[in-house]
Amino acid sequence: MDQAIVQIRELSKLYRHGDIEVVALNSISLDIGRGEFVALMGPSGSGKSTLLHIIAGIDRPTSGRCVVEGTDVSELGETALAAWRKQHVGFVFQTFNLIPVLTAFENVELPLLLTGLSGRERRDHVEAALELVGLADRMKHLPRQLSGGQEQRVAIARALVTDPTLLVADEPTGNLDAHSAAEVLGLLQTLNSAAGKTVVMVTHDPKAAAHAKRMVHLEKGELLNGGGS
Amino acid sequence: MTIPGFILRNALRNKRRLTLTVLSVALSLFLFTVLQTALRELSQPQVTEQSALRLITRHKVSLASVLPLKYQSRIARVPGVKRVSRLTWFGGIYIDESNFFAQFGCDANALFDILTEVTTDPEQVAAFKKEKTACMVGIKTMNRFGWKVGQKITLRGTIYPANLELTIRGVYHGGIDETNLFFHHEYLDEATGWRVVGCYWIQAANADAVADIIQRVDAMFSSSAAETKTETERAFQLTFLSWFGNVKLLIGSICTVIVFTMMLVTASTMSMAIRERTREIAVLKALGYNGGQIFGLILAESFALALVGGLIGCVGTWFLAQNVDMYVLSHGFFVKFEVTPHIVSAGLLIATAMGVVSCLAPAVASVRASVLDGLRELD
Repeated sequence: MDQAIVQIRELSKLYRHGDIEVVALNSISLDIGRGEFVALMGPSGSGKSTLLHIIAGIDRPTSGRCVVEGTDVSELGETALAAWRKQHVGFVFQTFNLIPVLTAFENVELPLLLTGLSGRERRDHVEAALELVGLADRMKHLPRQLSGGQEQRVAIARALVTDPTLLVADEPTGNLDAHSAAEVLGLLQTLNSAAGKTVVMVTHDPKAAAHAKRMVHLEKGELLNGGGS
Repeated sequence: MTIPGFILRNALRNKRRLTLTVLSVALSLFLFTVLQTALRELSQPQVTEQSALRLITRHKVSLASVLPLKYQSRIARVPGVKRVSRLTWFGGIYIDESNFFAQFGCDANALFDILTEVTTDPEQVAAFKKEKTACMVGIKTMNRFGWKVGQKITLRGTIYPANLELTIRGVYHGGIDETNLFFHHEYLDEATGWRVVGCYWIQAANADAVADIIQRVDAMFSSSAAETKTETERAFQLTFLSWFGNVKLLIGSICTVIVFTMMLVTASTMSMAIRERTREIAVLKALGYNGGQIFGLILAESFALALVGGLIGCVGTWFLAQNVDMYVLSHGFFVKFEVTPHIVSAGLLIATAMGVVSCLAPAVASVRASVLDGLRELD
């Protein structure tokens, strides 16, 4: 494995519902190398999304460490964590989560509004990102004027535009037809192989997972086969 | 796109709700500023440089009590007194009780030497002085009733047992009140057979003499059967206006209700707008927007919404004051109806403060909500 960009050690996550404790992750240890494309797989309730959320800094572990590019994300405060996400993580959601009143261009530009880039620089970055996902001709379209596959490609462009360390995708093809899903997975594969992006994807679909370089299986909050296959 | 542009897009996403909310705030602010303008008119009589030199001497017990005629010459001899005129409230009715306006018996020769800030035609003033049944009328009352110079009018006495047949000989413009009617006190004396005076209207020689005149005049009559109370014209007007104490309380209460209602409307709108965007806010957080930035976006939207509504309301009030004759509309109750910068500023300040306050709870809740909870909200 290349140099580990994500180092997870003895990571556990418990959810408490009244008196009932649910173990989502049970003492997981896992490394993800720079430039890897990892598919987190497992049945519903296996803890794969929880693991992704902790890696992406939108959830916190109950115990253990999650170090991403040298930063233990579980120790950061909310504001620092937001700043860290802005710099290191690009999100792709199952339901795209584009802002409906903004055009494709403006949706992709949204993360850049927090940076000190000039309008011209932002435009260059956004155009490059949309070009990369093949939607240069749809910049002025609103989400409702795009197909599901196109919406997800806009979401990928939004995730890419800040040039993050990690691209995390939570069931990115879950709401897409087979053709659009293949397009999106092909795009993630290209971003990984051609642009060297580290991709961590949650999926329960073996066909989707086949596009990854490595599959990590979880069941009942634990890794199967030591986290590699 | 810029951050303000993003805020604008968010604000405009539900145009119908936005329009209704802005109109609610605008209407509330319109009512608020109209009521504040009315309240100002009731509680703050206008003052000019000339009016600051004028004093009123009345009966100490009550405005309804009269003073002896012989006081006039004694007041005139007080050091610092430049002129004295009798000034008696007639309180007559012109055709109908709803046609209220102030009518005063006065010394015709002294009237416009005391009331120096008004503009008159010297020929009309001369005609007024010569004729005992003549009167001079403020331009607003002339316009209100469509009167012409030379027209005869009848005022039916209510306080005094006499009807006055008056001929309008002139019009005055300007001054702090363009609604009054002045006629010869001698005519009132003859018509009633009474030789009493409601008040004395004193013109001081200069501002330094005012306090001394007040003290000397009241001291002069302190042991008489009709003790006096002398005060500046402004203080005298405030005495009149203090009778509206309950009206002021009522207006204050209505303003409070308006402000509170405005806050509820804005809060309700912002709550709905934010609740609809729970997942989007979570996405923004996931993209790296921190709590302060999310709070700022919500606050700015609410602030802008309230400010726009407030501006529309204030412009509406200003438009009303500029284009509608409030004197006629209010049947002579409001004379100036001046929408001051202070009232507009207060209105806008309240509107924006309400905009801020009304979004606090939903904004804080949004900031506190976790990214995951937000993302799960509508999934």
